[in-house]
Amino acid sequence: MTLLSVKTVTPMPAPGSNCSGLTQAPMQMAKTRLAVGFVAFLGLFILMAARTVELGMAAPGQRQVAETKIEVPAVQFARADIVDRNGEVLAVNLQTSSLFARPYQVKDAQALAARITQILPDVSQAELVEKLQSSKRFVWIKRKLTPSQKWALNAIGDPALAFQDEEDRLYPHGRLAAHVLGYTDVDGNGLAGVEHYFNDRLVDPARTGEPLQLSLDIRVQYALADELGAAMRAHQAIGAAGLVMDVNTGEIVAMVSMPDYDPNNVKGVGDSERFNRATKGVYELGSTFKTFTFANALDSGVATLDDGYDATKPLKVSRFLIRDDHPKSRYLTLPEIFAYSSNIGTAQLALDVGTEQQQAFMQDLGLLETAPIELTEIGAPLLPANWQKISTMTISYGHGIAVSPVHLAAGISAVVNGGYMNAPTLLHNSSAWPNGRKVISENTSRQMRQLLRLAVSKGTGGRSDARGYRVGGKTGTAEKAAAGGYNRKALISSFMGVYPMDDPQYAVFALLDEPKGTKETFGYASGGWVAAPVVKNVILRTAPLLGVLPKQEDEELYQRVALMIEDD
Amino acid sequence: MRKALMSFAAVSALLSGAAVLQLKYSVQEHADRMEAIAAQIHKDREAIRVLETEWSYLTSPRALQEKSIAFLALMPPAPEQVIGSVTDIPLRQSDDAVDGGASVVREQAISADSEKTAQQRGEQT
Repeated sequence: MTLLSVKTVTPMPAPGSNCSGLTQAPMQMAKTRLAVGFVAFLGLFILMAARTVELGMAAPGQRQVAETKIEVPAVQFARADIVDRNGEVLAVNLQTSSLFARPYQVKDAQALAARITQILPDVSQAELVEKLQSSKRFVWIKRKLTPSQKWALNAIGDPALAFQDEEDRLYPHGRLAAHVLGYTDVDGNGLAGVEHYFNDRLVDPARTGEPLQLSLDIRVQYALADELGAAMRAHQAIGAAGLVMDVNTGEIVAMVSMPDYDPNNVKGVGDSERFNRATKGVYELGSTFKTFTFANALDSGVATLDDGYDATKPLKVSRFLIRDDHPKSRYLTLPEIFAYSSNIGTAQLALDVGTEQQQAFMQDLGLLETAPIELTEIGAPLLPANWQKISTMTISYGHGIAVSPVHLAAGISAVVNGGYMNAPTLLHNSSAWPNGRKVISENTSRQMRQLLRLAVSKGTGGRSDARGYRVGGKTGTAEKAAAGGYNRKALISSFMGVYPMDDPQYAVFALLDEPKGTKETFGYASGGWVAAPVVKNVILRTAPLLGVLPKQEDEELYQRVALMIEDD
Repeated sequence: MRKALMSFAAVSALLSGAAVLQLKYSVQEHADRMEAIAAQIHKDREAIRVLETEWSYLTSPRALQEKSIAFLALMPPAPEQVIGSVTDIPLRQSDDAVDGGASVVREQAISADSEKTAQQRGEQT
């Protein structure tokens, strides 16, 4: 009652006028008030009813629902993942647990230690008993357990044991791409590879959710590692290196250095395993360098494919004697010099090019400075202190200069891809090309492709010829420098292959350090015998993965040059 | 009349109060469920990360190759086996029987097959 009367008073416009009305006709007044209140409420209820009906009739789409977003706490981790070009996980931070004990709660140290060592065989039982009987309040038993170990330890159910959550860096592919990825220490700091180079980016809290995408393709990486490993074992080499590079973008699709290591456990790994032969190792790479000499000579117009040089006898320059490994002892045309890998002919060609031009060209191809790749393990090229005439001659066929495999691959890519120099990169970035610097003309590049193809189909690189994939390439065999000269027994045998030669896509490089000849290679350990088959197998295995189709070769492309090579 | 109106007002006030309370509880319940679901999603995402890593480990090319050698007779494809486009596939001879889906099998082939299996069954029994 009171509620109603109070409410009915409120809509009255002037409270002063009621007072006199109430005394004159109270009943009438009350009735009017009630009527007013009734009408007001009726009006409001009708309004509400109308609105209810309207809402009920309205199409569901027009309904306005209050925006409520479910707040899911983000999965936090301290270091960004690393993935390959296809999004395959290469390095990841995961929650793990570490086991600790509170010794004052331990009742039977002997029995507990026995049960723990059953689950964790690498923990010493005697040390564990000592730890559990110590007077400390807290002792670590093992850091970073696997989930199954944690499960088993939990099942013991001893109140003295407890777990501490920690993050661990895992590399699910183990040894694969170890030299590219590098590794981290216990506290999660990158110590090698891209883990080291991109450390600041990987730990940046704003970007940990966004994985670092590398240009590697783990499938190609494995094919290269598998083939190189097999060749290394077959030829008892002390090391091996390999690269697969996209010649049009400079992206490195695979990079292998052997011997390698498992970044999940770097304890006890030696310097030889940690050494990245593909980027830090610099080698005199031998005849593969002839590609650069030829590209230089053809591009500067010093020589044309119709020219030739006399290679009847070894070339004597001061106290040096330049010999051919596959001597033909006759006049050779330029295509022959390239296909038969004649040092004598190439040295004479380099003399015609001149020292300055040679240096400028090598500078253009980035062969004279450290490679601009996203690793901290990079080797500076070894150059002659005094670049004389003899240096020009030996460098023309890859002696007297030492560069890393990644230098060579980047240089060869520029020679074959139409003349665009792209910096080698480990990051997946398809927008780099064609911003590359122009170093040689389209025409020279085409001629070089013909020469490289013929070096495989007719010359020293025959064992790299993966049928259908139009492989072109150049072998390289160099003796290792030893005290006071060269060691004729210790070779660096390599092969630089590019395919398909009519539209170059990928460069594949394989290098073996001190390979020994076998019965299958008739005792030879040169690049054409030991490294070329590796390149062939890698191409056969990976070309379908990389989308390069085998097809019938267009012989006409090489006809003119092929006619200039005389078999004998 | 007035009494009826009054009791109607009182009952409807009680009812609406109870309804509001009920609504409040149900909203609270929904909010709790939402929080639980969010926590579950978070947990699942963490588990997915672990599983993705495990998947990556188990499907590492080396592991796959070992399994392939152990259980399959597969080799890397030879260049002749790689077919670049549909036009490279030769047209099928019209009367070639093909095993597989019934739509590509000639009727005789099906009947011949079923006869054969029927015979085998007969031999077994």
